[in-house]
Amino acid sequence: MRIPASDLVLLTASAIRKSFGGVEVLHGVDLHLARGEILALLGENGAGKSTLVKILAGDYSADSGTVRIGETEYSDLNPRKSRALGIRMIFQELSDAPLLTVAENISMGTWSSKRGIVSWSKMRERANFALSTLGIDIDPDRLVGTLRIGERQLVEIARAISDNAKILILDEPTAALSSAETDKLFLVLNALRERGVGMIYITHRLDEVGIISDRVQVLRDGTQSLVVETKKASRVELVRAMIGGEIASLPHSDSDDYFGDTILAVSELSLDKFFSDISFTLRAGEILALYGKIGSGAEELGEAIFGLHPERTGIVKLNTQTFKPKSPIDAIGAFIGFLPADRQRLGAFMIRPVAENLAVPSWPRYSVKGFITKKKEEIAYLHWSELLKIRSRNDPDQLIATLSGGNQQKVLLGRWFECNAKVLVLIEPTRGVDVGARRDIYHTLRQRAKDNNIGILLTTSDHEEVTQVADRVVVMSRGKQVAEYKGKEINNSQIIQAAS
Amino acid sequence: MKSKATQSNLKAKEKKPGRSVPELAALVLFLFALIIYFSFASEYFLGVENWINILSAVSVAGILAVPGTMLLIAAQVDLSIGSAAAFTGIIAGLFINSSGVGLGIFYAILMGVVIGLVNGIVITKIQVNSLITTLGTLAILRGLSYIVGGGQTVMVPNLSYLGLARPFLNLPLSVIIFGFICILGILIMRYTTFGRSLYVIGANPSAARLVGIRTPKVILICFVLSGVATALAGVILTSQLTAASPMAANGLELSVITAIVLGGASLNGGRGTISGTILGLLIIGVLNNGLVLLNIDTFWQQVARGTLLIIAVSFDQLRERWGVKRS
Repeated sequence: MRIPASDLVLLTASAIRKSFGGVEVLHGVDLHLARGEILALLGENGAGKSTLVKILAGDYSADSGTVRIGETEYSDLNPRKSRALGIRMIFQELSDAPLLTVAENISMGTWSSKRGIVSWSKMRERANFALSTLGIDIDPDRLVGTLRIGERQLVEIARAISDNAKILILDEPTAALSSAETDKLFLVLNALRERGVGMIYITHRLDEVGIISDRVQVLRDGTQSLVVETKKASRVELVRAMIGGEIASLPHSDSDDYFGDTILAVSELSLDKFFSDISFTLRAGEILALYGKIGSGAEELGEAIFGLHPERTGIVKLNTQTFKPKSPIDAIGAFIGFLPADRQRLGAFMIRPVAENLAVPSWPRYSVKGFITKKKEEIAYLHWSELLKIRSRNDPDQLIATLSGGNQQKVLLGRWFECNAKVLVLIEPTRGVDVGARRDIYHTLRQRAKDNNIGILLTTSDHEEVTQVADRVVVMSRGKQVAEYKGKEINNSQIIQAAS
Repeated sequence: MKSKATQSNLKAKEKKPGRSVPELAALVLFLFALIIYFSFASEYFLGVENWINILSAVSVAGILAVPGTMLLIAAQVDLSIGSAAAFTGIIAGLFINSSGVGLGIFYAILMGVVIGLVNGIVITKIQVNSLITTLGTLAILRGLSYIVGGGQTVMVPNLSYLGLARPFLNLPLSVIIFGFICILGILIMRYTTFGRSLYVIGANPSAARLVGIRTPKVILICFVLSGVATALAGVILTSQLTAASPMAANGLELSVITAIVLGGASLNGGRGTISGTILGLLIIGVLNNGLVLLNIDTFWQQVARGTLLIIAVSFDQLRERWGVKRS
């Protein structure tokens, strides 16, 4: 039975203001949450979502405004107090202990013990109870490190629930999940809703808002731009509330003379356990999407073209020449660029300046017998910073870590334009990138593909990305290529069906 | 989140670009404070001959600290430098006595290259962590120093003129070599793709691979440079004592790392400068020298150096924590 949203208010935040270093980032925001309600919190990066929920979790203290929980009004929450009031946050980065069992993780910090002696049976019992009430089928004796990422997230939720959480804040919980895992998560969230737990669900993905939430609150530049019941919200309305304008649709072309010659021809490419018998071509100026769910093999296919899986079999022809790279060095030498999905771990040099981040693969071109000056990379940075609309201080020495995710991604893209790449392999290029920067990136890709005659191979698990930017799409499922559409034939429901 | 990013942008704006400036400024201030204090406490401190003493005392550690800084920037460490200096010193001594000075020095440097190659190949090909590898070669080379020299100090009378020579500006040869290596190091780190790629490798080795950096080759070269530096250090130590001792340079790696870390290089790689390391060396040199001039028991030098190391690493940690907040 669903509890009406207007009843039984769990939490009311009123007129929350917060400044950092003299800049106000929340200008008096309200937020309500009822028992058994899922509130989707939408907004671009920098809109203030994280600041707002961190105030609720007690990580930040608000400059003014109050948070009312139950009967009491608080103006000075701290992490301990928030926990005691039943507020828990599930972060994107898991905070579990991979070398301990599921049961130990669920009891972490609140062990069932007698005079310091841990009772394993009670601990297991408690874990079983928490898991079964949420309908999660995981053996409590397994080591958490051996679980899949989605399962680990469910264990974290079970831990919060067994610790009597009443309000759960989920920060982009599906960012790293496959669609099967996402479905599983939604089942658990629905079970929690039945038990009266209130949830604040932060996401970038509009389709999830419709599936899981009861109400949507959109933040833009630190104010609430829209609060609406999900049933009554249209997609266009949500996007407009987030970015304050329309997303311009990008020009597609399915006329063949729009594109140049074939620059990449792949035939019968296979990689053990990941994909087999893949064949496609890529023309200059064309954006070809490889669409598939996580685990479909699309990502590994992109990596193989960049020389990351030299053991692959089949034939790749680059400008009609057979091309078999043994390492990324060979691929870069053949003017292939590569944008990895994990920006933090594989893409950016976080503690290094932006100009260096942009210029590294172009060093061989800049250098004269191994000697190099910073001048060239500073000029390159200022050039691309303007062209790609990188929002920064325009200081080549600024550390890339101080840019927002979307702007970091633009720097990493500019890296390959600067290096004159002719084929660009992009893996999930807009994962964790806010809507505004995403729009810029799509425009850039289209512009560069055409102006510089670059062929772009884009692997993605986001169908919106395909419809937004691709000229052609090869759909992959379980390592096989299952369909291909081009130009106006591409639509969301068709490719989703083909991929499942 | 942008809110945080804008906030840190503002913070950074107040500071001025090039975040290494404030760190080095703090070091310069600390060095000057030491100099001012010691110059009041001892009338000999500011004398030219005393400064030559200070430079001379840090020159051996300094020659090792330049490639050491390059390694630490690439998130690598060479602990074998002290033992390697002793071993190459003994090799130099034995061959100088048997085949002459030129050939002796040549064999010592060749041995330095071999030591660097062994360290570098184990680390880049077999991919054993550099701390473990060089901890192993540290023990091996110390043992070999005793074995090859028969457990005895090798007297090398022919080398005395090198140890006493002051060919330029009345500076000892060791100081001149140290200065030359410093300049070379600064130029390499600033103006070569090799030097620049060390920063990139230290900052993120996985990302470095994906932008086409030849990480194994670069690291291997770095260890070879470190090996050559140990040979130079070994020859200089031998010339200063006119004897090669198997106990020479015992624990020197710790003073070297102290100076590097004090100079602002991060233990996690990606940060550091040669000029910072030089400042770190000068601070240690001035401190040791001042304590001697004040007639403080030499045991206190060790206490001071140890304290300095902990302060240096605390600095490093605090900076890292800043870094986390900024991102």
